[in-house]
Formats: sequence, C-alpha cells, structure tokens
Amino acid sequence: MKRFIPHEELARDSRFVRQDPAQATVLSTLPDDVDTVVNVFQQFAPMIEAGVQGTSAQPLFEELGPGFMLTIINEPLDADGPAALPRLLLRMHGIFVGELQALEGAARSIWDFPDAPWEFKMNMARQCWDEARHIQIFEKLLIHLGGHVGMFPESTFLFEAACSDDPAMRVAGVNRGLEGLACDVFRDMIRYAEKTNDDVMKQAVDYVLADEITHVRFGSEWVREFTKGDPEHLKRTQDFRREVDKRFSFGGARSDREDAAIPIAREDRIEAGFTEDELDELAQISGEGPSKDTLTAAAEILRDRYKAESAARENGAAS
Amino acid sequence: MSERMYPGLQADERTVFAPYSAFEIPADLRELHGRYDVEATALRVRNFRYAEEWIMMMMGGWIATIPELPVKTGLGKVIWETAQAADEFGKRLPELRCGRKALDASEASNTAFSDFIQAVAEPESPPLTIEKLTGVFDVLIPHLVEIYELHNRETDAICDAPTIEILEDIIRRKHNHIQWGQDVLDALCETDELKQRRRDRADHIRSLLTASGGVTGVLETGQGSIN
Ligand SMILES: [Fe+2]
Ligand SMILES: [Fe+2]
Repeated sequence: MKRFIPHEELARDSRFVRQDPAQATVLSTLPDDVDTVVNVFQQFAPMIEAGVQGTSAQPLFEELGPGFMLTIINEPLDADGPAALPRLLLRMHGIFVGELQALEGAARSIWDFPDAPWEFKMNMARQCWDEARHIQIFEKLLIHLGGHVGMFPESTFLFEAACSDDPAMRVAGVNRGLEGLACDVFRDMIRYAEKTNDDVMKQAVDYVLADEITHVRFGSEWVREFTKGDPEHLKRTQDFRREVDKRFSFGGARSDREDAAIPIAREDRIEAGFTEDELDELAQISGEGPSKDTLTAAAEILRDRYKAESAARENGAAS
Repeated sequence: MSERMYPGLQADERTVFAPYSAFEIPADLRELHGRYDVEATALRVRNFRYAEEWIMMMMGGWIATIPELPVKTGLGKVIWETAQAADEFGKRLPELRCGRKALDASEASNTAFSDFIQAVAEPESPPLTIEKLTGVFDVLIPHLVEIYELHNRETDAICDAPTIEILEDIIRRKHNHIQWGQDVLDALCETDELKQRRRDRADHIRSLLTASGGVTGVLETGQGSIN
C-alpha cells in the first residue's frame, strides 16, 4: 500500500457525488469587488450547475442562480429566514463529510508517517475513533433534521488542504486548520440549537466540540514537537496553516467580522492551545475577503441574470 | 497475659490469629512453573507488539480507500483499541528488563512473518474490502487470539501475571473485533463468487502465516495451532 493519497482517491459509496474543488479555491481568493465576483461566478456557472444536478442543491441553484453558495455561506443560519431548512441541511451535510475526511486524514497520518513517535500514532488512533463516532453522530443528526447522506455534493477541499507529506504540516493543516474550523462551526451550531430549542442537536454537538478541542490540542502539541529546534521548519508550518486558514474562511464567512456567518470560537480555541497572537492573526487573515455588501450585491446580480436567462430560454423554446 | 496483637521474641509470644488455611478459603493451587523465562516473555511481547502496531497502521491506511461507510467507522474503533493493545505491550517491556526506553519496541519474529504482514497490508484499491478484511479478521487476529491464549496457559501464572492480565483484556476486545469483522464479511460476501474470493484470500494468507511460524515464529509448519 502506497503512502500519501490524493483527495481524488477517497473511496465513497454510490450515494456520494463530488463538488469541483475549484469552487472553494475561488471563494478564498475573491477580491472585494462586485464585478470581479460576478464575472468569476458567471464563468463557473456551467460547472456549478452540472455539479448540483440531481442533488438537493438543485432547487437552491434554480432559485438563486450560480451565486447560490455566496448567499448560503455568508448569511448566518436563521431558522426564520428564507430557505432555512435546505441551508441548515447543507451545512449539516458539509459537517458530515468534513468528519468523514477528518477520519480519513487522521487514519492516513498513522499510515503515512511510520517513523513518527509512538505517542503521535496513539493520538491519531484515538482521533480515528472520535471522528468515526462523529460521522455516526452527524449522520443521525442529518436524519433527525430530515436529510440524508449524499443529498449534496461533497467538497473534498478539507482533505486536500490537509494533505501534506510533512507530519508537522499535516497536523498543522488537519489538527489546527480543519479542527479549528470545526470548533468555530460547532460553537455556532450549538447557538443555533439553543435558539431553535433542539436539545438533541445541542447535546450531541456539545460532546463533539469537546472532542475537537482535544484534537486541536494534539495539533498544537505535535507542531511544537515536530519543529523543535528548527525555527525555519516552524515558520514553513505556520505559513502553511495560514494558507489553510485562509481557504477555510470562505472569503470572510468564518471570521471575527461583525457580519460573519460563522464567528471564530475564541474561548474554545484558547482552551485548545491557540495563542491570543495566533487568534488575532486568524481574525486578520479570515477578514481579508470581500465584504458582505460586495457578496450580497454580487449574489443579487447573479440571481437576476440567471432568472432573465432562464426566462429568455423558456420564451425561445415556446416560440 | 493479654492476647497478643503482634509477635514477640519468645516462642510463647505468638499472636492470636489463626493461620490462613483455618478459614477454608480455597487453597492457591498454582505452581511456580512456566515455559518462558523473563527474556523469552520479553521477546514474545515485542513480537505481539509488532503485530498490533502493524494491524493498526494498515487499517489506518485502508480507511480512506474503503467505500463502505460502516466499515470506515467500525475500523476507527478497532484502530483505537489495537493501538491501546500495542501500548499496553509496550508498557510491559520496561518491566521485563528491556530498558526504560523500550516502550515502543516492536520486533518481527522473522522475515517471513514481516513479509506475511506486508502481504496482509497489500490490498489497496476500493473494490478490495473483502481482501483487506479477510486477511485481518479471518486469519491474523484469530491467530493472535490463539497465541495469546496459549501464552496465558503456558506462562508462569504467578510470576508473569502482569502479562496475563494484559492479554486477558486484549483477548476480550479481539473477540469483539473478530465478531464484527466476520459479520461485515458475511454481509459483503453475498454471492458464491464473493464467498469464494474470501476463501481464496484466507487460504493464501494462511499459507504465508503457517510458513512463517506465526507471530512468535516458533510454531512448526502444519501444526494445528495456526487457526
Ligand atoms: Fe470530528
Ligand atoms: Fe476532530
């Protein structure tokens, strides 16, 4: 069995479809300019449309056009807002596949680094069990909310971003980048569950968050250990984590900005071993994307154009 | 003279407490006898740890390459419990005069056994879940359970009791793993063709195991005690 596999080789059953990873990259590199955002999404429209065909995201595309992800990602979850349930399910499904990739990432760390210290393998083995339980938990929560596995395309950008062949970078990407994002998202889900009086979701996610803090702590400790006495290696590792954090901020949707859809869970992250300096830096990195006004304006233009084009197509077909 | 709580220096200065046997508690019938001395047990524990560590590592490699979701999640738990088994063996080594740093010492009994492990770990692509699980759950883990149970029967029950206790816990979990793995394989191998694939794989892997002499390398070829 070879060491190091690309994200394309993650094995899935027939319920799953993939999302083109280019979308996540695009989101993390958009400038704060309405026209550019519109042009980029217009260009990607055929790919986005093909990607949602036959999934539960298709109605969202038909309603909002190729910029539907901009609306979905950038607005905080609101139980009384438009398309509340599909948006909640889309997030839940995203978390579910994220857990799947976290399991695969932790498990591959055991195989890919046979010479790593035993304690590292023990930590990764424990994480495998935790992530396996998280998959089971989120599959049940997905069903609890009326969804099912495979209802949305799976983006493998988490695994992709976390797949370095250097153990320090791997744990920086998986255990600090990916797991740190999980802390932010789960704290937000607990708030949502409190607001909607969903005790089942609240308690389950609370336990998962406790596990994730432990996983981030593994990352904090192993980055230190793997780069001990090598400041240059530490710097490269931190640079890599910054890059991962930028991708995982979805153009500011996860940030410290007042209008952020997913705020940074500062207290949880401090408990997990992030320093105040690192969090300030994360706030700065994640806040760099286009403003919410820009994305809202772009989303509206994209929706209106899509509607106009659809109407024109229908008229053409009718005449 | 008052009744004595503690013995004195004279023959008549004994305590009042009756000896142990007077209470008819079942006598300790164990004998000071075992097949393995400290050095031999230490080597066996390193052999056991080698197998556990490799099972954990190969399953770690497989999770991403297995399409069946419940197999992925089930393996997550088996990986953690297998890591704990390797860890317990590692902690026993310094107690067996292997040095304080021996916590992560593993040793294959011979190259044939390490080749056997590589053969078990070989299947890689997504359609090969049957081959992956058969090697581990139909052959390797049942073999380990057999050898662990044999060790507990043959080692000194008093002197080597710490190893026995470790093995008892591991055996209990291994039985659960075998049950789970074989249930999954039974479900996966629905057709005669798939059942045959499982048998062929088990036969192949078992022949390599037999040729190696097993995890401790000392079982003779053809001896019934390999599965
Ligand atoms: Fe998780
Ligand atoms: Fe995690």
